Amino acid sequence: MPEKKTSLRGVFVNGILNENPTFRLVLGVCPTLAATTSATNGLGMGLAATFVLVGSNAVISMLRNLIPDKVRIPAFIVVISTFVTIVQMLIQAFVPALYDALGLFIPLIVVNCIILARAEAFAAKNPVIPSAVDGLGMGLGFTAALLLIGSIREILGSGTIFGNAVFGPSFEPMLLVIMAPGGFIVFGLVLGIINAIVNRASARKGAKA
Amino acid sequence: MRLSFKGGIHPLKELHEGKDKSMHKPIKELVPEKVAIQVDMHVGAPSQPIVKKGDQVKVGQVIATAVGNLGIPVHASISGAVTAVTNRQMLGKKASAIIEITSDGQDEWVELHPLGDVETVPADKIIQQVKDAGICGLGGACFPTHVKMSPADDKKIDTIIINGSECETFLTADHQLMLEEPERIVNGTRAIMRAMNVKTGVIAIEDNKMDAVKTMTDAASGREGVSVVVLKTKYPQGSEKNLIKAVTKREVPSGGLPCDCGVAVFNVGTAAAVADAIMEGKPLVKRITTVTGCVKEPSNLKVRIGTSFQDAIDFAGGFTEEPGKIFAGGSMTGIAAPNTDVCISKANNGIVVLNKKDSVVKSPTGCIRCGRCIDACPIMLNPQKLKELCDAGDLAGAKKRYIMECCACGACSYVCPAKLELSASFKEAKDKITARGV
Amino acid sequence: MNLRLSTGPHYLHRESTQTLMLDVIIALVPTTAAGIYLFGSKAAWVLAVAVASAVICEYIFQKLAKRPVRIMDLSAVVTGLILGLNLPAEAPLWLPAVGSAFAIIIVKELFGGIGHNFLNPALLARGVLLASWPARMSVYFMPTRVLGITSAVPAGPDAVSSATALLRPQGYEVYDLLMGNIPGTIGEVCKIAILIGFLYMLFVGTIKWHIPVIFVGTVALMTWLLGGDPLKAVLSGGLLFGAVFMATDYVTNPMLTIGQIIFAVGCGILVTVIRMTKAYPEGVTYAILLMNIATPLIDKMTSRRVYGTVKKHA
Repeated sequence: MPEKKTSLRGVFVNGILNENPTFRLVLGVCPTLAATTSATNGLGMGLAATFVLVGSNAVISMLRNLIPDKVRIPAFIVVISTFVTIVQMLIQAFVPALYDALGLFIPLIVVNCIILARAEAFAAKNPVIPSAVDGLGMGLGFTAALLLIGSIREILGSGTIFGNAVFGPSFEPMLLVIMAPGGFIVFGLVLGIINAIVNRASARKGAKA
Repeated sequence: MRLSFKGGIHPLKELHEGKDKSMHKPIKELVPEKVAIQVDMHVGAPSQPIVKKGDQVKVGQVIATAVGNLGIPVHASISGAVTAVTNRQMLGKKASAIIEITSDGQDEWVELHPLGDVETVPADKIIQQVKDAGICGLGGACFPTHVKMSPADDKKIDTIIINGSECETFLTADHQLMLEEPERIVNGTRAIMRAMNVKTGVIAIEDNKMDAVKTMTDAASGREGVSVVVLKTKYPQGSEKNLIKAVTKREVPSGGLPCDCGVAVFNVGTAAAVADAIMEGKPLVKRITTVTGCVKEPSNLKVRIGTSFQDAIDFAGGFTEEPGKIFAGGSMTGIAAPNTDVCISKANNGIVVLNKKDSVVKSPTGCIRCGRCIDACPIMLNPQKLKELCDAGDLAGAKKRYIMECCACGACSYVCPAKLELSASFKEAKDKITARGV
Repeated sequence: MNLRLSTGPHYLHRESTQTLMLDVIIALVPTTAAGIYLFGSKAAWVLAVAVASAVICEYIFQKLAKRPVRIMDLSAVVTGLILGLNLPAEAPLWLPAVGSAFAIIIVKELFGGIGHNFLNPALLARGVLLASWPARMSVYFMPTRVLGITSAVPAGPDAVSSATALLRPQGYEVYDLLMGNIPGTIGEVCKIAILIGFLYMLFVGTIKWHIPVIFVGTVALMTWLLGGDPLKAVLSGGLLFGAVFMATDYVTNPMLTIGQIIFAVGCGILVTVIRMTKAYPEGVTYAILLMNIATPLIDKMTSRRVYGTVKKHA
């Protein structure tokens, strides 16, 4: 991925659209599948990861000239896990219901490859402000993806959105969608549809040019 | 007991292999006004024409001489004047060199040099006589017979199989020959056995021709070492490899020839031609060809080599309806003719005319992995997998899965419910592999 | 004269994908008829909706994806019909509609259409319905006709039996198991009808005997070894229907006979194991699906000796 000099706005939008971590880079698939059983869970996981991304990107960028190359991965992990611990404690304290729902997947943000990938690919090579913006863009892109998948799964699998009933009482939700295979199927379908849209758009662009 | 091999199909079972129309039709002789004789009918280098426009030739006169180890001479099939020595589009991919002769109506033969009775003639003279008579495999392969009769010194041949299976659809030429002239076939068999110093000669016939089994058994009784075996009606029973497996239980090793497993296979028509060459001194100038399908009088014709398809079809009463496709040979491996001006070569065992409706090519759909092709393959290949590899362009993978063993019998294409062109794509892939040396 | 040039063979077998599928449909006629006879018009509606949904979904998807429309090959009809026969007669009509849509769009077309699905569409759809609406799917109903004539079983809504024949095979006689006087899905209850369909497919050569016979034989043998009643094990649940109509799906079972034998034995072992552990009342669906997944592997591991060559060990 060649890093071109781009504007902060470009860096921010890049994370949400062109290089959306979930749909374009297909990173962080584990939390995408596991934490999207409802829109709330998806949103919570996304925001938690965003917090960690912004914080770790900023700190790693600050330290980028101090960390020896050979031990950079352990050093990144230490920084990331610090922020993960913070976010875990915050969620546990203020949103205990979400903490219970996400459970193990909050500490597992440490090994979310989006965070390590951005530290490695962006923060370790760029100044603090762009790194933080990149973290924010990537995090919001991730959040948007998780929210989308979580909403679809919650609507179909539970008949609700953010816990509010969508359909009448006669609706029988499709349990499979909120089970593990449903995660794969919905993720695959959304990924496929987005790819189809992007391909069609780029084909149109190619035809014009 | 009916001998057979594993795999294979029974094509056109509901139509009795398409043979009904011409079956038991007596052989009629056709002497055309004009012939165009190819000099490249046989496997091996084309023969060298030695006549020019305006020359007068008699039946049986050499008009092109043998070239190379696999070469055989070509003889005039009618008497008259040479009217052209040129190139013309025949059944092959490229235009062939041909010698055109226009008849003088005399049908006069050259002086013949018979060797005598097949049981007494010196064995060492037979092979040369066969070569001089221009005989090649009349089953369709057209491999020079004298070469087959002289295998390398280290190959010990112990069995000769005379192939009367005629497993191809529509054809009845060999069947009718076995019914009408069984002695010629047995004489030819004895000549080949003596020339090759082989003690066992087996005439193999499919069980849809039990009357031919009877005539051949009668003719073979009392002849040293000659016996008749009955095979199950199954395609491709007449393919060398499968015939050898069915009759002797042996297999031709991969990349080898029948002589590598001690067997040589000759067509019944070839055996009859050998008998003519030895006992009457006649070279190969005529053969029996079935003309059937949408013609008024489907028949078995004894035609001169070089007769045009149009003459043969007219002799069989002409078309009954507008033809959609005409092919030389049976429906499984026959070669489609571009027009009716092409001429009968030594390899042509049949001319089949299809109407417009039957010649529609069905468009392929998707493979449903039904496994029909796997059951049909007489060589035990996996056509389904090979087709996947060929479509993906993986020639090396196809070669690893023995695509080169494919005998192009077309059984897989015949049975495929999705109408995929399996056999055709394997042939294409094999050609590419040979050309590129994958 | 305009002659067509093409390579041989110039005549093809009259069998096509369409005729093969038609033969399967004909083989399913006795089962369908028995299901409608036993369960009444409700069953007919379920089947009709399943078939219609499958065909319509295939048509719409192929139109949208700009693929050639191939609904006339009847494969969607077979998928829909088999799925419908796998549903309880009391299923609400949206259940077959959703199931068929899933089978055709997700399992079949998204993987490339006919011949490219790695799982049996009808089976996976059944699995999806089973996981999604367990309350609708794993409640088995006594045939209404049996309820009507047998006073021993109370009529009315109370007649719903939540126990399959499988869970208490001692409760049913072999005659009732054969004739379909037991609770179950529309297609699986009448074993005689299934056997007629099996014999038809064998007779016309649609399938070979290996998979169904070895599959069922393995279940019988395993059950006998583990101390059960092999005959009742064979006649219970969806085993026969699955072995005859679903395990024999061309696309998702191995190509070579030896591979098919491995496949069938695997199915039989899995069914018995799943039944014995009782996590699910019925193991046939999952057993066949698991072996479907193993099919590419089996195909890779099995080979046969090509004429004139020496067999190499894979």
